[in-house]
Amino acid sequence: MAVHSISVKEILSRVRLVFPDAPETYVLNLINDALVHMGMYNNKVVQAKITTVADKMWYPIGDGATDSSSNALEANKIFRVDLMDNEGDYIQIPRLLDKNILLMDVTSESALNSPD
Amino acid sequence: MASNIKYPENSSRWFVQGSNLALLTDVDSDGDTRTTTRKKWQAIDEAVTNGILIHYYGEPNSLSSITSSIDLDNSLHLALVDYVKKCLYMDKAGVSAEPNIAALSAQMSSAHKANFDEAVVRYGMRKRDKTGGARVLKPVSLL
Repeated sequence: MAVHSISVKEILSRVRLVFPDAPETYVLNLINDALVHMGMYNNKVVQAKITTVADKMWYPIGDGATDSSSNALEANKIFRVDLMDNEGDYIQIPRLLDKNILLMDVTSESALNSPD
Repeated sequence: MASNIKYPENSSRWFVQGSNLALLTDVDSDGDTRTTTRKKWQAIDEAVTNGILIHYYGEPNSLSSITSSIDLDNSLHLALVDYVKKCLYMDKAGVSAEPNIAALSAQMSSAHKANFDEAVVRYGMRKRDKTGGARVLKPVSLL
């Protein structure tokens, strides 16, 4: 086994060399904070499928969003979108730089943030 | 189930606004181009199961116990140690009544922060890039 990786237990033991009284839960919380921070950089590339809905323009990709299999997306930055064509293949579609579109779909307004 | 869109690369667009992905098409539910010029680009007109495939940078899975495995490339595991020590040294600097210990802890916190930043923020992507080999310049054809 050539690849060396560290388990959470080993991180805890390395930390406790300097901080013997460091609480386990606190260290675990700090590691989770670090993971959120590290997720902002391209550490993990993920592909997910979303089902389109007729007349729906906006598809949520925030913290609570899920894919078509109800798995949490946990998306940070989307860098490519493909759309299924008439033969069932996924074709890359271009990203629109100018977001000032003329028509805003009314039926999909529920997906947008409204004042509460 | 396939869609009725024959050329998605020409008749679809996407963009992100806030926490939403917007999908636009210029074709109707039969796959024919909309004739109204002003309202050509609208929401997709059909429901397609798994119709959109998105590629994105995702968040690593969070840990629930010390037996959990870390959802990161192993080259970044040491950075986690630096992050934890950075926070613990800062905590120590904040609660220490002894000025020398507080100052030393703050310095150690800064050192671990620098290690973390270098491993993740500055050079993280370059270090983990799986692309190798020499760069080759291809001259522009003047013909």
